[in-house]
Amino acid sequence: MTGVRLHPFTLLTIAAVLPALAWILPAPDGAAATLVVALVLTLTPGAKLTPGASPGNASLWSFPGWRPGLVRLRTAVVTAAPFWLFLLLLHDVPTTIAIGLRVTTMVATFVWLVAALDPARLVEAMVAAGWSASVAYLLAATFSAVPVLKARAQRIVEAQRCRGLSPRGGIPARLRALRALALPLVLSALHEVDERALALETRGLVPGIRRTPLAPPPDPAAERAARWALLLVCLVALVRRFIVQPFS
Amino acid sequence: MIAALRLEEVSFSYGSVPALERVSFSVAPGERVALLGRNGAGKSTVVRLIAGLQRPDEGTVWVGDWDTRDCVPEQLAWRVGSVFQHADQQLFARTVRDDVSFGPRALGVGEREVERRTDRALEDLDLTAHAGHHPYDLPPALRKLTALAGALASEPALLVLDEPTIGLDRTLRARVTRALLDRSAGSVALLVITHDLTFAAETLERGVVLDRGSLACDESLAALLGDVTRLEPLGLAPPPVAALSAALDLPGRPVRAADAAAALARVARGKPVP
Amino acid sequence: MKSLTLDRASFWYAATQSPALRAVSLDVAQGEVVALVGALGAGASTLLLVAADLAPRVIGGRLEGSMTRRDRSGIVLPTPWTQISGMAFTVWDEVAFGPANLGWPTHEIARQVNRALERLELLPLASRDPATLSGGELQRVIIAAILAMDPGLVLFDEPAAELDAAGAAMLWQLIRVLAREGKAVLLATSAVDALPDVADRVVWLEDGAVRAVGTPDLLADGAACDAGLGTSIATVWRAGGLPAPYPLTVAHAVRGRP
Repeated sequence: MTGVRLHPFTLLTIAAVLPALAWILPAPDGAAATLVVALVLTLTPGAKLTPGASPGNASLWSFPGWRPGLVRLRTAVVTAAPFWLFLLLLHDVPTTIAIGLRVTTMVATFVWLVAALDPARLVEAMVAAGWSASVAYLLAATFSAVPVLKARAQRIVEAQRCRGLSPRGGIPARLRALRALALPLVLSALHEVDERALALETRGLVPGIRRTPLAPPPDPAAERAARWALLLVCLVALVRRFIVQPFS
Repeated sequence: MIAALRLEEVSFSYGSVPALERVSFSVAPGERVALLGRNGAGKSTVVRLIAGLQRPDEGTVWVGDWDTRDCVPEQLAWRVGSVFQHADQQLFARTVRDDVSFGPRALGVGEREVERRTDRALEDLDLTAHAGHHPYDLPPALRKLTALAGALASEPALLVLDEPTIGLDRTLRARVTRALLDRSAGSVALLVITHDLTFAAETLERGVVLDRGSLACDESLAALLGDVTRLEPLGLAPPPVAALSAALDLPGRPVRAADAAAALARVARGKPVP
Repeated sequence: MKSLTLDRASFWYAATQSPALRAVSLDVAQGEVVALVGALGAGASTLLLVAADLAPRVIGGRLEGSMTRRDRSGIVLPTPWTQISGMAFTVWDEVAFGPANLGWPTHEIARQVNRALERLELLPLASRDPATLSGGELQRVIIAAILAMDPGLVLFDEPAAELDAAGAAMLWQLIRVLAREGKAVLLATSAVDALPDVADRVVWLEDGAVRAVGTPDLLADGAACDAGLGTSIATVWRAGGLPAPYPLTVAHAVRGRP
């Protein structure tokens, strides 16, 4: 848990504004700036210093508080890497850098959002703001799908290894392992969708009833102001870029 | 004779939560052992250790003469067939037959041998008629049998099954019993986690009971199941047939239905029913 | 008072020719526990979905005949991990998910959640993350989550499958308590040995149709034993060639010992 918990809407606003700015601001400086912010963000949730441990004499990886953040940073970098390769094949170097920085900002922001956004808090916040519980659940479920699928994928890979399928080895072996994973992952998830729909229905997630917010996350005025400010920054950047100094 | 499985003073914890503490037991080839205990007693952790998915913190898990610490799961698959809980969600081939043949094929045995093992496993569990079906077109109970057939087809020296009868009706459970007895007669060792003590009584011969991560009991299943006073503190309830044998003091205290029926018949012949 | 009434109900799943239920007539009164038994595929799960008003309303398909309910129902499905909301980081919040969706006031939600947790012996787990629970614990959480919504008609599909002996014993007792409180309970189970102490009536389904209805004594019937639905004691008695009537439980067997 982080010390400061931002309101889910604030998290969503940041996640929307950063990639928008990456595309609006002139490349490469603007996009590089947004990327730095996004990469720093991937390090933040959970990156709380544990009392008693001193980061000075421990290596970064052995320091448990930082580990989840570093794993997220690596996920973002690894996910963005293939885009750079494709861009380099298609474009010259300046264009590759310009688009690459922007795409990487988007990827890093998403990785951060999935880690930082607690789906249950999002539902509470949306319900408190007057959305219907079913719509809120649908949106929140999208964000919680990533960790759920990850856990399931791990179970399937374990079961397959125990049947003799090695996930290591050359590229053909890895491709075979990937295919063996993809099928049950997708099929079992689809299979579960029906049952999950029944379960949610029976647990009262039906349109027409106003859900009781259990613990709506606090939304201080400062945060609301910050959200509007971020959107305003975005708007100003847009005006500046395309109206004041078009295509400079 | 070398044991198919031997745990020596095995301890394991998930982070700071201890799961197993100095657990030792072994399973000989052809032996049929039930691993029993409450929810959360550490049974599933034992399965993960044997399959090589976790390493013991202390002690050694021997599979034959292999120390699992030196093996990855795909190596251990040569000797251990493990079926996890909810294995029915892990099938992935387009047909039941392809899924069942996956194990022997991954182990690299010849194509003819793959065919032979697959046919045998399908027949053992009466799945031959479903061989061409897509696994996800089958009801969950038959998917569960398909997963078990997959483990049988690898013809391992040791079968480790986690709750193989959840969701099966009595007819399908009897099928599983028959297939397992058949394999054990061919000197395959069995370690079966189950809450279903009726199934255990019909299929297995020895009971190893875990209680809060420690070995609480290791003895003949028939002796254990007949003794209510010892079962209850371990979180177990006697299966009805064992309770019947005890209540009527049937000779030999049988725990399997067929044995109890025979004993009843003998008693009835000797003493007319009132 | 009848809580659920099915009148010649037949049901077809979407894109199937033969019905999964055939002209089933059945009622469940408030304060009554009715158990459905049968081989796999006999129609017990389908009947529960119809009674829960999920089939055909949510899953599609076609219903002929009629289904009428007086009470709001809650259904416990056989696979607990597909029923958790995934939106709760504690067991308490998971159980509160349903009551909150019903729009109840907060104090009523808290009262019902605490009561359900206590009944399922889950209070020590109240602050645990549901994702870290075992199958048996999760099953109890789902049962608590349904009971916290205070349904008048409670439907259970294989509720004891994941539970250990102590958990199963607790559940069967709880079901009797629910009936005493006036709830109507309809349950499908293969744990026939538990039914003499739990069920008021037993309905034997075969191939989608009602084959027989009666007291749990039905489970000592020769035909039920032959179909694999007799209690263990009755089945052993019959297999030993002893004359009918067969005892239903160990206690009956002791009274009529050979």
